[in-house]
Amino acid sequence: MNEERREFIKKTSIGFLAGIGVSSGLFLNFLLEKTDASLWSDKNIAGTTRWGMLIDMRKCIDGCQKCVDACRLAHNVPDFGNATHQIAWLQKSPYREVFPTSGEDFAGKERTGKSVPSLCNHCADPPCASACPTQATFKRFDGIVALDYHRCTGCRSCMASCPYGAISFNWKEPRPAIKAINDIYPTREMGVVEKCNFCSERLLKGKLPACVESCPEKTLTFGNLNDPKSEIRLLLEKNQTMQRKPELGTLPSVFYII
Amino acid sequence: MKITKRDIVIGLLVLSALVALRVFWPTAKAEKIASPIAKATPIDSTVCIAPTEYMRSHHMQLLNEWRNTGARDSRPYVTADGKKFQKSLDTCLGCHSSNTYFCISCHQYANAKPTCWNCHLSPLDKP
Repeated sequence: MNEERREFIKKTSIGFLAGIGVSSGLFLNFLLEKTDASLWSDKNIAGTTRWGMLIDMRKCIDGCQKCVDACRLAHNVPDFGNATHQIAWLQKSPYREVFPTSGEDFAGKERTGKSVPSLCNHCADPPCASACPTQATFKRFDGIVALDYHRCTGCRSCMASCPYGAISFNWKEPRPAIKAINDIYPTREMGVVEKCNFCSERLLKGKLPACVESCPEKTLTFGNLNDPKSEIRLLLEKNQTMQRKPELGTLPSVFYII
Repeated sequence: MKITKRDIVIGLLVLSALVALRVFWPTAKAEKIASPIAKATPIDSTVCIAPTEYMRSHHMQLLNEWRNTGARDSRPYVTADGKKFQKSLDTCLGCHSSNTYFCISCHQYANAKPTCWNCHLSPLDKP
């Protein structure tokens, strides 16, 4: 082969390769399909989140009702003033009513004397969601047991199936019984049930639940139970905790330190 | 300068390394998967969801769809032109409650009795 011709082929092939190198930088899409996180960032991935709460009774002040009041205000929970019609998303109940099966029949007053905040446990296996004939009560992608009031027919199957009594029924028109109306959250109407929603409307805005925020003693810790580095998981690791009626297998997401 | 075989091989290696680097370079955008909270919702109630004419005739269809899916699928509603809205009556009322009679004046005239205000607070109910 002619020496000049050989040199020419070498130089043009180097130039060709350099051209490919440059164009791959300029037209990246042409080589590999571009991935765009925004395409799936809106998708709810089940199992990545399981919201839970830890209630540290060592810090809870007996007689303080700040969390209960904050919840009532945040969600327009009516107060009918009698036990028959009572609606409660979060309430403070005597220890023995919250933990009736904890086997502490003869435990001392310092352990069982306090009133304990009780709310929907947002069970991992919620009996209310199974019982609901219209699927108004259902388990969300983030572990919250949610209630779609639009679908509720008021049959109260969920109330019968909930072992914690966390669901209340509106026997009367609730709006007149709401003391202070909070205009950023709807009310309910007569004939539907209602319960704690773990403040899912506040989570959507990146805020903590109203009860957690209102507690002056930081009794309540809220976090993702599926994240091993979350504060709630670290506390659960370090402390001896209790669930309500764990023997029923509902797998509550609300834990207590007594 | 005379180009040897060695020069060509080194050049090719450098080039392929550069190409590979550029193609497989992880972009921060693609790596990041937003947490369910962080993605929050791009609430945008400063613009209309659809053209006025369409909303005038079809708002009930849209609101029905939002009512049926809003609680179960908390992902934002995406319009044909890519705008995102939180599926909530408050998204509409963000603007439209400035006129207290916005909903009621038409509904009264048409004798339409939607059940929205049984639970949701209408602009008339708001203190």
